[in-house]
Amino acid sequence: MTGLAWLCRRETLRVSKLWTQTVLAPVVSSLLFILVFGLSLGGRIKHVGDVDYDVFIVPGLITMGMVQAAYANNASTIFQARFDRYINDVLSAPMRPWQMTLGYTVGGLFRALAIGGSLLVLSVLLVGVPVERPFALIAAVALGLVLFASLGLVVGIYAETWDHTTFIANIVILPLAFVGGVFYSVDILPSPWHELSHVNPVFYLVNGVRFGFLGESDVSVWLCLGVTAALAVPTYAWAQWLFTTGRRLKD
Amino acid sequence: MYRDDAPALELRGLTKRYDDGTLALEELDLVIPAGAFFGLLGPNGAGKTTLISAVCNLIRVTSGEVLVFGEPADTLLARSWIGLAEQDINLDRFLTVRETLTYHGGYFGMQREEAEQRAEEMIEAFGLAGKRDVRAPKLSGGQRRRLLLARALMHRPRLVILDEPTAGVDVELRAELWRYIDRLHSEGTTILLTTHYLEEAEQLCEEIGLIRDGRVIARDSAEGLREHFGVESLHGVYMKAMAEDNAPVRAEPGPSRQEDNVPVRAEPGPSRTA
Repeated sequence: MTGLAWLCRRETLRVSKLWTQTVLAPVVSSLLFILVFGLSLGGRIKHVGDVDYDVFIVPGLITMGMVQAAYANNASTIFQARFDRYINDVLSAPMRPWQMTLGYTVGGLFRALAIGGSLLVLSVLLVGVPVERPFALIAAVALGLVLFASLGLVVGIYAETWDHTTFIANIVILPLAFVGGVFYSVDILPSPWHELSHVNPVFYLVNGVRFGFLGESDVSVWLCLGVTAALAVPTYAWAQWLFTTGRRLKD
Repeated sequence: MYRDDAPALELRGLTKRYDDGTLALEELDLVIPAGAFFGLLGPNGAGKTTLISAVCNLIRVTSGEVLVFGEPADTLLARSWIGLAEQDINLDRFLTVRETLTYHGGYFGMQREEAEQRAEEMIEAFGLAGKRDVRAPKLSGGQRRRLLLARALMHRPRLVILDEPTAGVDVELRAELWRYIDRLHSEGTTILLTTHYLEEAEQLCEEIGLIRDGRVIARDSAEGLREHFGVESLHGVYMKAMAEDNAPVRAEPGPSRQEDNVPVRAEPGPSRTA
């Protein structure tokens, strides 16, 4: 286990050393969303269901900040390690593939939780967001972070350039988050947008986290957790397969 | 487990064909005895780095077997016995000198206290004391090269693989690095060295292997090679061996080089240390 512990430490150390980029910037960015959309737009949109608008958007914004960080962290750490070839120090070490996968995943989880924790504290102070179902919140966050941290690893391993990693973040994850019900309840959408929202995986994650915070969501929390788990498990397995076979890492 | 009688490195029928079809190693056989200082010479593209990568689990081999002190090279035990200093500087840009060494020790199974203590020893030994808290990108070229070597030796490997470790290094530092490596060898560590400096190989290595087109085409002591090729210098041996017309590239697996008219000994030569 020693090698795994050191790899976890290395990945969290990287996040800590670059904390202004890795934690502060996303927290400020999400905080601005809460302030601009919640406090200013909240004056016009009073409630979504029984919940104040400025409270309603907090779970989605926290989710968005966390999953983007989990993805970006792992995509960049693994791509950088491949690009500079210092990943060889890990690949040649007496560590098992599952230890490498887990070790590299931890950095993204650590960064996302640092961001999520900071935003939670700020949100409680600013808009008084509740945590109605903590266990559901923990489960949804854990599954969502495993999904996006693993996706970051997979993309970072396949990427040929930095553009490939940012492409997925900007063209796939960000748009899916925006249309995944972060700022609105999909119940207000007309057909076919209402139905189409249900094929967006981020919609289920956002609603799972929202249920954890507010105790209510657009769909069943079990469905939310099930869909997120159904994506997280194969994505993690994909990352594990890459480390086990050495494909794209040991060509 | 570690066997005293096992060779440090044993490659049997090692073949590596890259995805683009390039045949980098072809049915390569090589045995390096424990405690040897073995040099591997060959032109760029001959397969030296591919061979090293295969030993260190950095590429997926197409076929063949790699044993390190009798253990398959992909086992955790075998990996823990190998220390690699790669040709290119591949230091973690986020870590300081001290962290680079400590974390490497950790990856290779050291506990924190042991790793920190050993890192300090290596920092002193390689003259990096003034730079212990400096990150790798801010080191000079020579300092990075020292750190690379220190990292390779950090976990006290039994087999040290040095892939052109003195490329681009000034004469003074080169002499200093070799003094350290020579001392390490005298303490029983097996050294596998690739270099383009023939005089360096002749001076340091007990035995030299010549590699061309992914196969070892000759191996012996420097003196033995000079005799075989009928020339007076290792430079002459190198030029003659690399220009040999009777050592054609074969795409398909074929008979071993012993069938060609190039002096080859697949087994360790007499000049090795037991």
